[in-house]
Amino acid sequence: MNRMIRQLTRRSETYVLLIVILFSAFVTAINPAFLTLENLFDLLRSSSGTAILAVGIFLVLLSGGVDVSCTTIAIVGQYISVNVLIRTGIDNIFFMFAISIALGIALGAINAVFVSLFRLPTLIVTLGTSSLYHGAMLEFVGTKAVNVGGLPQSIKTFGTMDVLTLYRPDGTTYGLSVFFVMLVAVLTLTYFILKFTMVGRGIYAVGGNLEAARRAGFNTTKIQFFVYMYAGMLAGIMGVMHLGLIRYSNPNYLVGTELSIIAAVVLGGTRISGGTGTITGTMIGVMLITILEKNLIMIGLSSYWQQFFVGVVLILGVSITYLQAKFQKTGRQIILKEEE
Amino acid sequence: MNTIMQKIKAFKFKEPKNKYLFIVMMAAILIMTVLMPRQFLSAVNIQSMAAQFPEFGFLALAMMLAMITGGIDLSVVAAANFTGVIAALILTNGTAAGLATTSAILLAILAVIGIAILCGLANGVLIALVGVPPILATLGTQGLFLGLATVITEGYSISGFPTEFMFLGNGTVFGVPFSFILFVIGAVIVWMLLNRTRQGFTMYMIGSSPTVSRYSGVNNTKVIMKTYILTAILAGIASVIMISRANSMRPGYGSAYLLQAILVVVLGGADPDGGFGNIPGLIMGIIILQVTQSGLNIMAFSPFFKKFMWGFALLLVMTINYIAQWYGNYKRVKKMKAQASIGSA
Amino acid sequence: MAEVFLAAKGISKTFVGVKALDNVNLSIGKGEIHCLIGENGSGKSTLIKIIGGVYRADSGTISIDGVEMHGTQAIEAIRAGVQIIYQDLSLFPNLTVAENISVNQMLESNQQTVNWKNVRETARKALEEIGEDIPLDERVENLSVAKKQIIAISRALTQNAKLIIMDEATSAITSEEVAHLFSIILKLKERGIATLFVSHKLGEVFEIAENITILRDGKLVGVYPSQELNEEKLAFIMTGRNLAFEPYRYDPSMKGDTPLLEVKHLAKKSQYRDINFTLHPGEILGIIGLIGSGRTEVVQSVFGLDPADSGEILMDGSVVNITNPRDGMKHGIAFLPEDRLTQGLYEAQSIGDNIVVTILDRFLKKSQLLNVGKKRESEAQWVEKLSIKTPTPDNPVNSLSGGNQQRVVIAKWLATDPKVFILDGPTIGIDIGSKHTIHEIIRGLAREGMGIIMISDEAQEILDNCNRILVMSNGTIIREIEDSTTITRDELLDVIAQRVAVGAEA
Repeated sequence: MNRMIRQLTRRSETYVLLIVILFSAFVTAINPAFLTLENLFDLLRSSSGTAILAVGIFLVLLSGGVDVSCTTIAIVGQYISVNVLIRTGIDNIFFMFAISIALGIALGAINAVFVSLFRLPTLIVTLGTSSLYHGAMLEFVGTKAVNVGGLPQSIKTFGTMDVLTLYRPDGTTYGLSVFFVMLVAVLTLTYFILKFTMVGRGIYAVGGNLEAARRAGFNTTKIQFFVYMYAGMLAGIMGVMHLGLIRYSNPNYLVGTELSIIAAVVLGGTRISGGTGTITGTMIGVMLITILEKNLIMIGLSSYWQQFFVGVVLILGVSITYLQAKFQKTGRQIILKEEE
Repeated sequence: MNTIMQKIKAFKFKEPKNKYLFIVMMAAILIMTVLMPRQFLSAVNIQSMAAQFPEFGFLALAMMLAMITGGIDLSVVAAANFTGVIAALILTNGTAAGLATTSAILLAILAVIGIAILCGLANGVLIALVGVPPILATLGTQGLFLGLATVITEGYSISGFPTEFMFLGNGTVFGVPFSFILFVIGAVIVWMLLNRTRQGFTMYMIGSSPTVSRYSGVNNTKVIMKTYILTAILAGIASVIMISRANSMRPGYGSAYLLQAILVVVLGGADPDGGFGNIPGLIMGIIILQVTQSGLNIMAFSPFFKKFMWGFALLLVMTINYIAQWYGNYKRVKKMKAQASIGSA
Repeated sequence: MAEVFLAAKGISKTFVGVKALDNVNLSIGKGEIHCLIGENGSGKSTLIKIIGGVYRADSGTISIDGVEMHGTQAIEAIRAGVQIIYQDLSLFPNLTVAENISVNQMLESNQQTVNWKNVRETARKALEEIGEDIPLDERVENLSVAKKQIIAISRALTQNAKLIIMDEATSAITSEEVAHLFSIILKLKERGIATLFVSHKLGEVFEIAENITILRDGKLVGVYPSQELNEEKLAFIMTGRNLAFEPYRYDPSMKGDTPLLEVKHLAKKSQYRDINFTLHPGEILGIIGLIGSGRTEVVQSVFGLDPADSGEILMDGSVVNITNPRDGMKHGIAFLPEDRLTQGLYEAQSIGDNIVVTILDRFLKKSQLLNVGKKRESEAQWVEKLSIKTPTPDNPVNSLSGGNQQRVVIAKWLATDPKVFILDGPTIGIDIGSKHTIHEIIRGLAREGMGIIMISDEAQEILDNCNRILVMSNGTIIREIEDSTTITRDELLDVIAQRVAVGAEA
């Protein structure tokens, strides 16, 4: 028991979880409506998409890279797929997912080409591809937003689908969104891949020591392609979910929100140098950022404060991590006999 | 006269890469001139190119300083936004509060420098003292600065500055935009910093290896802190020019500049891992970017196509760099092996 | 002798105009412990990589266990039973011991999924084979280099290795750990597994090798059973030169009243305690001890890289406060670090810039601007003074050979005009010929009145070049030998290994 506690205190996710709990308590004190099942369901509904995107970014960070193009891929997937649905008249949610996912995988593959084949620094590559994809979409597809009236029915239905419906006293309903089920599916699949497949272990290997991975015989190219394409796929999924959530497809949305998602992943204990991180930690990080962003309003701060707070939280979080590392730096233990 | 001619003939770029950059730059200018001679070479266009140059140029200078030390400053544009907002507030409310216009302008500029130093300190402390990797630190401060700017303005833009202030961004001196002159002075000062001061020299060394620098007695902490303070000050200067040119300030202005700044620094020969980078290369890179942008504008390409182009250009440049580096290594290894066979120590 | 396991005949390899290997033969018997020795540039790295299938030979044949290799892929050699353990060990710091050991086998078996029970079992068995016990769930980054090596060897065993090639395995572990490693190699031998040991450290070669193959300039010089050789003969064969080892004689008249450097009761938690010594002008003080004895830590504290917790440092008789390298430099201390490439030199920067980084302030004019002319003049001066072989100081430092690179590091510190020069392993990874030259330079400096502290792993190097010796172990000085001529190499080795009772003076 003691050992477990000691191990937990060494990981930054534990502190983040504590902050989440404390902050939630604080918000509940001010506004009791926070800790209701209805609000929880609502939170889950609105943040499941972001969480899925975070998983993709988590995988990239794990492999030793940084991907700032995920949000762009999400909006590209969303905007193009909804427009295809409208223009072809095929009103099918699976069709929409198929297009968005296919796009996401393709764009992710392009990222992989530059990172894996040309061995270029990932931050700069994804900065470039982000601009490339967004500019191309706006230029060649269009810039007109699609509002709720123009949306295909299937996406509207999908957005309000619940897997569990509960009744309020006045007869109206609320429920646990299908989004949450999708998140759970993604988490399960990703966990399985990371823990039980060679590709998954390969991601850890590549993030830990790329050269050693090559020498050991890992197909590092295949692994990196997998990572970026998987992240692209998740972005594609998120794009459709996001549309289902806000019922408005503006091609300029989502782009620029990478900061808070990367912040969430890093706060969750994933190292930017690669090789270290957990899905649990990532989810805890997402929880924190989500709660922050959603509830500043609840405690009376306007939404303008969001960006500022995310920045502050990120800075505090990483400062603690790196300061901790600094003080823990064990110089070579030479006089061992004395300690015993 | 003869010696001058000799010097011109013998002119060799100190950095071998700059040779190719020069060729690309001349080619870009040539292409644009050939495609649209009347519009491209018109006084209007040249002046407009020269006018856009400075605000971006200062941001590029800032980015280069950070990258020379092996880091990166993702917060330059956000810092410029933040200082710009403060300056804008002072300018619009200063006269109302009873300040003479010149005092208001002076106060605004002082405030910009002051706030910029604070921004730089924030980055410097995080990176040099706490030890946070520059990507993460400046990602965080980017949110911080932009967030503060957003909170202060509540999303609105501030406009309506005194006409005297407009001179900074729009005035000309003998036909040359004043801001361009500012940039030239700025570039010269940065050049002196990089090539003629201890700070500059140690910036390159730290970029090459912080460990070796520490072992050699370099004060890494001091040098890095100064670096990020300098980048912030340069961002502040950029913001003054920006708000003067646009006669307004809105948070989020100039967000496209971040990617372009990185592009131009990499194009100009800096290694993202640090230790290299020079002013002539950077300036040629900026010229190439400006000329291309101007050409695209004249040809009425949409801003979206331009966004596409910049992404494409960044990837292209880096790929070419990679191939060139690979080839350079190949040749150097060949030379080394040849030398080794002749005789070793 | 036992049957031959590996037979490489007539191996030649040319890299872009330079002949790295010229008609080299190598023969290793089953279960044999074979050593491959050669200076830098002799071709031993290339030979290993060819045997391992990483490079392909231009001509010649390699047969493993009677079967001729086609040499197209590393996997072929691995399947034949050849495993290379590179100097950096190629481990995954973020993964567990179990996973690191089993990873090669997992990849080999082309499996798609991971069965963790199998992973642990494979690792446990491999460790058991060499009688080692390391917690399977520990993250490798938390382990010492020696333990990491054991993991690397265990990993090699999971693939039915019959020949394990160890490239410079002993550079980063203590003598105690080296002994342990050798015992493992002997255990491997018992199981019929051969070891090809590549090393610079001549002393070790004799301890473990049965046969020694010597390369020089890409050519095979000869193969000798280790009993027929000793260090001097070996040095001669390797360089073709008769290097006279004349011990350094200290001139006691140089000793002044106050020592240049005096250290009193220096201590640092977990690293060293109660360190006391003095250093006088003209002395070359040697510090020797197993790696991890605290010797590097002590001198790093004196220089200011990692200041001590308590104790005093005196320069010329007065107490000084040294909290960072700049302080050390201010008081006239220079420090040549152990790892040239990651601590001593900016590989990609020019030779000139590398030299002047420590003395930049001298070239600043009153305006704080750099006087470029003076800087370049100084660069050229130092290149000449230390005979650094380069056409221009503008060339990058990585264009130089190891010996020349070390001279650049020496130049950069001599330029600071130090009173005390600390050299941590000045001749590591440098061929014998250059070693000698560098020793000459060091002695010359001492004769001019500088105080030198030299740390080394090689007892012979210390005995030849130092007039006084400190032996450290476990963070303390266990013995001070006032006059190095009064002790023999074997006696010194005994002290280091603590096979004698320790006393305060020689």
